[in-house]
Amino acid sequence: MDAVEKANADRQKRWAKDQKIGEGTYAVVYRGRELATGRKVAIKKIKVGQFKDGLDMSAIREVKYLRELKHQNVIELLDVFSSKKNLNLVLEFLDTDLELVIRDRSLVFLPADIKSWMAMTFRGLEFCHRNFILHRDLKPNNLLIAANGHLKLADFGLARDFADPGYKMTCQVITRWYRPPELLFGCRYYSTAVDIWSVGCIFAELMLRIPYLPGESDMDQLKTIFRALGTPTEEDWPGHTKLPDYVPVGQFQKTPFRDLFSAASPECLNLLSKCLIYEPRRRISAREALYHPYFTSHPHPTHPSKLPKPADKTSATLPLEELDGNAEPNGNGPGVKANPPNKLKRKLSSDELSGGGRSIARKLDFTQQRQTVQ
Amino acid sequence: MATDFWVSSHYLRWNVDSAVLRQARAEDIQYVDHPEYLDFLALFFAGLIAKLGKKLSLRQRVIATATVFFRRFYLKNSYCETDPFIVIAACCYVAAKAEESPVHIKNVVSEARSLFSSEATTLYSGIKTFPSDNAKLAEMEFYLVGDLECDLTVFHPYRTLMTLCWKEGSDVISEAEAGELGAGIDDGPRYWGTGEGKLEMHEGALQMAWFIINDTYRSEICLLYPPHLIAITAIYMACAIHQETRGDIEKQTQSGAYAFSGSQGSQGLTRRSSRPSSSSYKRQQPQDIVGFLAGLNVNMALIATITQEIVSLYALWDRYSEDATTDSARASLKRSASGSRPEIITPGLLIQLLWRMREARSADLSGAHSTPGRPVAVNKMLERAQAAG
Repeated sequence: MDAVEKANADRQKRWAKDQKIGEGTYAVVYRGRELATGRKVAIKKIKVGQFKDGLDMSAIREVKYLRELKHQNVIELLDVFSSKKNLNLVLEFLDTDLELVIRDRSLVFLPADIKSWMAMTFRGLEFCHRNFILHRDLKPNNLLIAANGHLKLADFGLARDFADPGYKMTCQVITRWYRPPELLFGCRYYSTAVDIWSVGCIFAELMLRIPYLPGESDMDQLKTIFRALGTPTEEDWPGHTKLPDYVPVGQFQKTPFRDLFSAASPECLNLLSKCLIYEPRRRISAREALYHPYFTSHPHPTHPSKLPKPADKTSATLPLEELDGNAEPNGNGPGVKANPPNKLKRKLSSDELSGGGRSIARKLDFTQQRQTVQ
Repeated sequence: MATDFWVSSHYLRWNVDSAVLRQARAEDIQYVDHPEYLDFLALFFAGLIAKLGKKLSLRQRVIATATVFFRRFYLKNSYCETDPFIVIAACCYVAAKAEESPVHIKNVVSEARSLFSSEATTLYSGIKTFPSDNAKLAEMEFYLVGDLECDLTVFHPYRTLMTLCWKEGSDVISEAEAGELGAGIDDGPRYWGTGEGKLEMHEGALQMAWFIINDTYRSEICLLYPPHLIAITAIYMACAIHQETRGDIEKQTQSGAYAFSGSQGSQGLTRRSSRPSSSSYKRQQPQDIVGFLAGLNVNMALIATITQEIVSLYALWDRYSEDATTDSARASLKRSASGSRPEIITPGLLIQLLWRMREARSADLSGAHSTPGRPVAVNKMLERAQAAG
């Protein structure tokens, strides 16, 4: 064992892997703990499979950004180690996510609670944007909530840093219901405003307790947006008819926010409307949003520890099935599973890669060489 | 580029000093006659990465990232115990993904195969052929990412260069950027694109600085110094080498304008001062370059050290011959710093060397199964010393 392997083994020894709690396209998630302290962690084991096609792009993105980002409102990557044929990411353990909170009918949200979640979301997002990173997949089930109530941005599998001017980016990002109209129109040059739109949709969802703009297809998504916010005019959004995938989808009148969000304060609706401005450049930035009067007006945001939370199912030693249900929120969201927004949805894939003789090693295999010599 | 450099993995974990670098080569150095050969290997491998990168049509920044990955991998591994060729391919493959311009693994394998086999057949017939199986590259990728500790964000000097400098009489970039739909994180006033506080360089000089930065990847400079200092060094060197620019500086310093415009210039440089008149002021009088560099507030002694390192890289490079390359920076340096030793190192020689290192290492390891590694190798070095002396 050389020094590198030893360092890796030492790191591995800090953590214990317990039961499996979920599975995504490129990773299996386990509950675990730090042996020295007993602190709960989540261990994400990245499947390397039979080394067929190399590491998944999402895995690369996720580790790339989480290795750099440290903020109270962004999920923390505590450690990385490799074991046999897997890469293991040790993440802080988070009890629940905003989607489960929204769907839990037994919980009542006060305006101050919503303000608190929004403030934490904007804080985490402002940190990402300040560091030139676009999240590109904001939705309630990617906003995880810690035991102490702190909300954290998670799942950086679609994140990327700002492209250099003149370089195209893909418009196939962000789960459909939270995807801004410029991406639906095929815009290949975009910026932080795409994430802000998603936050606007989440904001509305917190008040409505159901998804605000649930389109059934990409085309229907545009219609759904226009039905709610009115078809944009050239004045609302200069140049949008020239976007690559522009198609006219019909004329709709805007439904006044006041009709739908009857209980909301004026500041609240003002911030919401600024997140959902059609023209991306006029949309509010995360930084400006944090200075918006909504956050300083009454009522003050609820302290994170006092925010409503689903009944604590994870704390005790529960059977695996229930944990599975809890940690795989994709399975729970009504409608989300029924309409998987195209490619972006996680799909279950078969597990485990059986051995198969190791073909190359990190180091040259001298044993084989010697055999051929003799 | 992402995040704040001073809290980045690049700065905190991968900015190493020369002692660490020496330690990393401790095994390899036992199998070469002169430590210099390791620098030639560093040069040779970086050249191969650039070639493979070009074949895969990767951008310069991706090639640079791949090279940094390669260097970081060999902070933890030795040339004699690994197959650098497959590591090179894996570095290109991971870098392409990490820099958001992925290439298919099949292309990497086939391009690497054709490149390495052509290199090998023309240069040295004994080299192992590159595996044709995707899985082998994917497996290497896994080890690579593991040894990189998943730190895939790399900072490069190019961005600093483009932030500090500005091509004479060009405002094309800013217009294109401003016209982009959906662009715009419009937090506060913007200074980029306005030319405010930038050094206006001759196109040739800017190009030269860019080439110098490309060249730094041929050595281990990218592990030793923060990228912004490398960029400033490149600007400094370009100013010193580029004929016209040097002429301008000489004129300024001789006419005594330096003392006068030095204070003026550095005031105009502070980024926050947005004086609308300064651009017209700049047009009338060539910008004070010395003042600009002085105003950057970096450790100039360190810049001088990096300059030395780059110059010695060129001296080394001078004695390395592949096919003629036409970097103007290199060509002009060649004249000023012509090597004293006549010896010419070729890729063929290096491949042979690598092969010998590997066999010697293998022999050492099999010779001493009980205690592999260092002690035997030390003996070997002794033997060699005795044979030589």
